[in-house]
Amino acid sequence: MSTIQVRRFAISDSPWPWLFPLVALLMVFTIYPLIYNIWLSFHEFLPRKRTLAFVGFSNWIQLWNDTRFWGALGVTFIYFIIALTCEIVLGMAIALLLDAELPGFGVLRAVLSMTLVIPPAIAGMMFLLMEDPQFGVITYFLNELGLLAKGTPILSTSSLALAGVMVAEIWQWTPFMVLIFLAGLRALPAEPYEAAMIDGASAVQMFRRLTLPMMSRVIAVAVLLRGIDLFRVFDYVFVMTSGGPGTATYTLSLYAWQQTFSNLKWGYGATLSLVSLAIIMVLANLFIKLFKVRW
Amino acid sequence: MPQSKSARTFRTLAGWLVVAIFFFPIFFWTSVAFRNARDIFDWPPKLVNFTPTVKNFEQVFGISLGFGFGTQETVNPGGGNFYMAPRLVDSIVVATFSTLLAIAVATLAAYCLSRMQFRGRHQFVNWVLSTRMMPPVAVAIPMFFIFKQLNLLDTYLGLVLVHGLMNLPLAVLLLKSFFDDIPSEIDESALLDGASRWTIFRRIVLPMAKGGIAASAVLCFIFSWTEFLFVLTLTQTSIKTVPVVSSTFVTSIGTAWGNMAALGAAAIVPAFIVILLVQRHLVRGLTMGSLKQ
Repeated sequence: MSTIQVRRFAISDSPWPWLFPLVALLMVFTIYPLIYNIWLSFHEFLPRKRTLAFVGFSNWIQLWNDTRFWGALGVTFIYFIIALTCEIVLGMAIALLLDAELPGFGVLRAVLSMTLVIPPAIAGMMFLLMEDPQFGVITYFLNELGLLAKGTPILSTSSLALAGVMVAEIWQWTPFMVLIFLAGLRALPAEPYEAAMIDGASAVQMFRRLTLPMMSRVIAVAVLLRGIDLFRVFDYVFVMTSGGPGTATYTLSLYAWQQTFSNLKWGYGATLSLVSLAIIMVLANLFIKLFKVRW
Repeated sequence: MPQSKSARTFRTLAGWLVVAIFFFPIFFWTSVAFRNARDIFDWPPKLVNFTPTVKNFEQVFGISLGFGFGTQETVNPGGGNFYMAPRLVDSIVVATFSTLLAIAVATLAAYCLSRMQFRGRHQFVNWVLSTRMMPPVAVAIPMFFIFKQLNLLDTYLGLVLVHGLMNLPLAVLLLKSFFDDIPSEIDESALLDGASRWTIFRRIVLPMAKGGIAASAVLCFIFSWTEFLFVLTLTQTSIKTVPVVSSTFVTSIGTAWGNMAALGAAAIVPAFIVILLVQRHLVRGLTMGSLKQ
């Protein structure tokens, strides 16, 4: 009995020594940058004097009146909604297709996971090459199919540029959805389907009444994680269009980055990045509450 | 579900076709790495009927000149000195050490979150998850100024710290899910036998969770390997990882597609091999431990 008594007072029984390194590092990585960002958003860099000056709310007022900010916000939302929808629908369709023990399907699932380990910047460059107006293979196919007029540069036409970027995004991350949905599909119990078959339910009915409700948690987790990443997209637009042509593909992250590091408007860049942070936090936490996602 | 033979054949073909479409960009990109400029710029684009060459790899890695890693080797055949030689070594160093950092800190925290009951545990897990939501740009901007003051810009230490920290939420939640798989009765009986938490952690739980820890480490490695924004922001000249180096191959004079593809291929092939090692835990990793395969 005495050993138990000794153990009860051991320092390792308290959770905090275990959590301390994590808390310390996360403070450095999240709390401190957050405070620094807020502080920075009330200052602006003066290139002539090479100093930061306090400017009060002027960055926030500028933000409100900045049409490029609202444009970037719009582009980010369009990108987020279209890419997420395409990835979910395509991902579910492909997962349903591959959810069978047919020749080679194990290999196919492994091949699909390959896209996920390619650095997004390099994936962006792959599509930059394939969408080139002079020698790109995607351009060639679209020309041959009559979907694209010859000589139209996809990534420098403002109506097409965002779609051109999203192709890379959707190509790389649809397999993310496929793999998650497949794991979900394979964990489903067989009995409800057998019962439904006996009752003569159609495949569509079974999908809507059985598969979707039973998969809701899996779908919610996938949408949450992918949605967070989509909203802060940077790599693809940076390497493929740098926001152009004009401002057609400026996302919030890219705009904040360029304001800070290309235009040296440190305070304004910080303000923009704070807005991006706030929107993600609100949307993600709302989603978690609404769909009761738990870790 | 019972299906007719023709339906099965159709489904097999459809499956192969869909995956072939997804594989095509990888195939095409890799093939560009083996092409001469003439074959890259051809119209209509060639798929397979080109004369293969390894020139691009030689130039990118400076193989013909001995191993040129980490030097300012130029690879532009036109004579201009505007390309920086690839820094695979930088990528490996940063990814390895940031992974070690993240895993070391995360195993401790994950064990605690998996086994100990304390007030606010659920909120703590949610806080860890919410740090995953921070947009990198909102971290990179202040980090740039902080690092500038601490002289951490353009150093291994700085990047290792940032990548390690970036991977912490993933590592903690993923490892917690692996520890949750180990029955806690083992801990409890060891506690009754007088073992300390620390002993249990080191002697029992860590060895039992080996596979999970390895899978988590692999995923952290890959996320550091593919990360772009932090490296772009927090390095200048002395350190560059592969994704950022590749982006410098696009210049106003033109794009060295062959060289870029060679470097890209060299960067993604190791990742493919690595991902095969963790296939079994891939879905769990992608969902931060929330879904098990």
